[in-house]
Amino acid sequence: MAKSINRYFHFLASSKNAKPSGRLWFPAADVYQTPSGWLVKVELAGVSAEDIEIDIQGNQLYLVGCRRDKVCAVGFSYQQMEITYSRFEKTLSFPATIDGASIEHNFDNGLLIIHLRKAEKTKP
Amino acid sequence: MAEENTQIQTETKENAARQFEIAVLPLQNTTMFPDTVVPLSVGRSRSVKAVEAALSTEEKLIACVTIKTSEVNGSDAKPVDLYEVGTIVNIKRMMRNDDVMQLIVQGVNRVKILYWSQEEPFLKAKVEILPELKVIDKEEVEALKRNIHGMIQEALTMLPQVPPEVRMTVMSQNDPVQLSYFLASVLELGIETEQKMIEANTADELLTLTHAALARELDIMQIRSKIATEAQGEMDKAQRDYILRQQLKAIQKELGEDEGGEKAEAEQLRERLETADLPDDVRKESERELRRMEQLPQAAPDYHVIRTYLEYVLELPWKKSSEEKLDLNEAKKILDEDHYGLEDIKERILESLAVIKLRPDSKSPIILFVGPPGVGKTSLGRSIARALGREFDRISLGGVRDESELRGHRRTYVGSMPGRIIQTLRRVGVNNPVLMLDEIDKMGNDYRGDPAAALLEILDPAQNNTFRDHYLDLPFDLSKVFFIATANQLQPIAHPLRDRMEIISLAGYSDQEKLNIARQYLIPRQITENGLSDDQIEIADDAINLLTARYTREAGVRQLERTVGTLARKVALRVAQGNAEKVTITAKDIKPFLGAARFYPEEARTDLPAGVATGMAWTEMGGEVLFIEATMLPGGGGLTLTGQLGEVMKESAQAARSYLWSHASEFGISPEAIKENGIHVHVPAGAIPKDGPSAGVTMASAMASLYTGRKVRSDTAMTGEITLSGLVFPVGGVKEKILAAHRAGIRRIILPERNEADTEEIPEDVRKELEIIPAKYISDVLSAALETEQSVPKGENYVIPDAKSSDGRGEPLIAREIGE
Repeated sequence: MAKSINRYFHFLASSKNAKPSGRLWFPAADVYQTPSGWLVKVELAGVSAEDIEIDIQGNQLYLVGCRRDKVCAVGFSYQQMEITYSRFEKTLSFPATIDGASIEHNFDNGLLIIHLRKAEKTKP
Repeated sequence: MAEENTQIQTETKENAARQFEIAVLPLQNTTMFPDTVVPLSVGRSRSVKAVEAALSTEEKLIACVTIKTSEVNGSDAKPVDLYEVGTIVNIKRMMRNDDVMQLIVQGVNRVKILYWSQEEPFLKAKVEILPELKVIDKEEVEALKRNIHGMIQEALTMLPQVPPEVRMTVMSQNDPVQLSYFLASVLELGIETEQKMIEANTADELLTLTHAALARELDIMQIRSKIATEAQGEMDKAQRDYILRQQLKAIQKELGEDEGGEKAEAEQLRERLETADLPDDVRKESERELRRMEQLPQAAPDYHVIRTYLEYVLELPWKKSSEEKLDLNEAKKILDEDHYGLEDIKERILESLAVIKLRPDSKSPIILFVGPPGVGKTSLGRSIARALGREFDRISLGGVRDESELRGHRRTYVGSMPGRIIQTLRRVGVNNPVLMLDEIDKMGNDYRGDPAAALLEILDPAQNNTFRDHYLDLPFDLSKVFFIATANQLQPIAHPLRDRMEIISLAGYSDQEKLNIARQYLIPRQITENGLSDDQIEIADDAINLLTARYTREAGVRQLERTVGTLARKVALRVAQGNAEKVTITAKDIKPFLGAARFYPEEARTDLPAGVATGMAWTEMGGEVLFIEATMLPGGGGLTLTGQLGEVMKESAQAARSYLWSHASEFGISPEAIKENGIHVHVPAGAIPKDGPSAGVTMASAMASLYTGRKVRSDTAMTGEITLSGLVFPVGGVKEKILAAHRAGIRRIILPERNEADTEEIPEDVRKELEIIPAKYISDVLSAALETEQSVPKGENYVIPDAKSSDGRGEPLIAREIGE
């Protein structure tokens, strides 16, 4: 039993705060503080921009989406699969509220780069 | 029906996104739960196809549904074999390994199968995602959750190998539903329970199920850990004992006590074993046992068993003999010193000793002394030992009824010991003692064994050189032991046993012999024993004669010696009171000393009526005369026998009557007198059981006397067995019988012809007073026994005259003990 618990937690450790309902995997993300605000870099290779939703609430940034396998065509057969597909979710917390920040995002070599610029009005 | 349809339609509209078609992977013996990650192996072709179909979709999802029974496998499972609620999983990793696909899947949502859309080449179904579990009673769910947490904590204390970060993770899992699913996937609960859990629609239901399952698991774990602890405890105890014992040894060593310890003890035994003079096989076996003992701790029960055994082996006289100092003249002197008379017995003993002298390596004879009590059997054995200069010991076999008394118990029994033979040999310390087996006729036997059978081996010179005691289990040479057995009677001794011994009969002593024994041995001994001297007491011969006749009744001299002892003590009292005069006891002094006579002398009846004859009987106490009375029953029939007669004696009475009947005319008896009259034979004293064939001639004489009317001569006694053809057969105990008849005043004895030789044993002084008539046929007996003239009319009108009858009853038939 102990062994199976260990095995289980090998996977579960990264999904500690996950909620059920199919938010399956959690892409890795780096967060930088920049003079103008924040830069968030998320490892989301193979995900179409239209499959990503970004939302901001208070000091949290929600990232929800789905990685779809578009390569697998009729007649193909998998020999090995290590990339996780299907839906993902990422919640990032910031030290201060980011409400009202302007969002810019683009893909750079498989990385999703999000720029958060502080709203003008929050500037002192 | 219509209503249902509408419902489905509305739901379809609302949950269009929630319903879709998906490949189904049937699971054997396992259930998938949402949010759990599990590795799966997929090998069956239909399942592989289902997985491949799932992998070719964009999201890599597949529905996992459990098969209801374990009898159906993944490729055969039909929709009816599957449950209707399962879990949609996302395939996170896939790796092919030969034909088997190794998957890592993560549960996403619970689904309900709406209908099956395809069975081949893989299962496919239209499914609907089931909603999230609702919490109905918040407090109950919270309580259950806390309980479950408590139980997990308890379980984790029993699982020390679970790493701490895992503990942290489990304990910090706050969502009760996720926790339940996790536990369900981790614990092996069985598919039925697992399916109930996946089908649970509310958090309350799920948690209740989880709680029950976890409680059961916990119980099992507790029992298992208890069993493990107990086993551990036992091991710990053994280890603890060992350590303590080692410490004890160390302490003993410090105290300088280890010299008495097991090492030293074994060392001592080894030294003794090396210096002891043992036969090779004994040495080999002893060394083997000693080695075994050295390997045992001192506290082991076997240690002491082996030590006792080895000590026993070392103490036995395997090769030690006492030196012979056999001088036949000296031996004869010793025998004469110790015993009066018994000339032929002494001679036979000397003959045996002569053989031993000539051939020292010869097998010792085995002698059996048979005779009444007190005739000196045991003391003869002692004399033989003295004459041979050997050690003497005696083993009383009276009442021994267990074979192991003689042959010992096996060493496996607690408290086992060697048998009496080996014990005695250890005691005497030599292997050639004179060993007396007393009262060999008094051995019993029962279901525990027959000691006589063991004696067969011990007393057989051909096999007793390798006598194996059960305890020793080593062959001991008994062939140098001079066995002497004693018995009062031959008859109870088993025939094979009798056969192995040289039988020497000691008959009783005559009055004259007793007088001599008293003079030469008993009186001097009693005088010394009672602290007197010759000038203080003298017992005259007539006093001794009175003692033998009226105060004792025995074949031997034991009672006589006691009575002499009584007299000596009375005198000792006087001497001690200061009366220094010499006391001479004569016949007339006996009564004041000892009181009235205790026995009437045996007396022959002087005037026997017709139908009464005098016989002789042998008893263990010597001989006796007895009277056989026959009387006619006019008009009666048959033969009545009374007086506690045994079967043999009854038959011999019948034989006597039949003989007379068939030969009636020869003896002048009318056959009608026998035919028409019954006859009653009585043998007093009625209370004493009697048996044996030797009264045959006496009964024949009594009956013949009755039928012919001729009296039996009252000065005549007779003994002998008769046969139906009229022969007289020899009987035993002739010497005792004749002595008894002589004592009773009878002077004519009718004996079987073949017993004539026995009369030579009778002391000369008695024999010369007797007329001994040998008889070959009954007719010889009758012509010698019956008076010639007819004293009463014979035949059916026969009546015993009153005077004679009362006369007959007036005197005692047989002398009897009076008083005590």
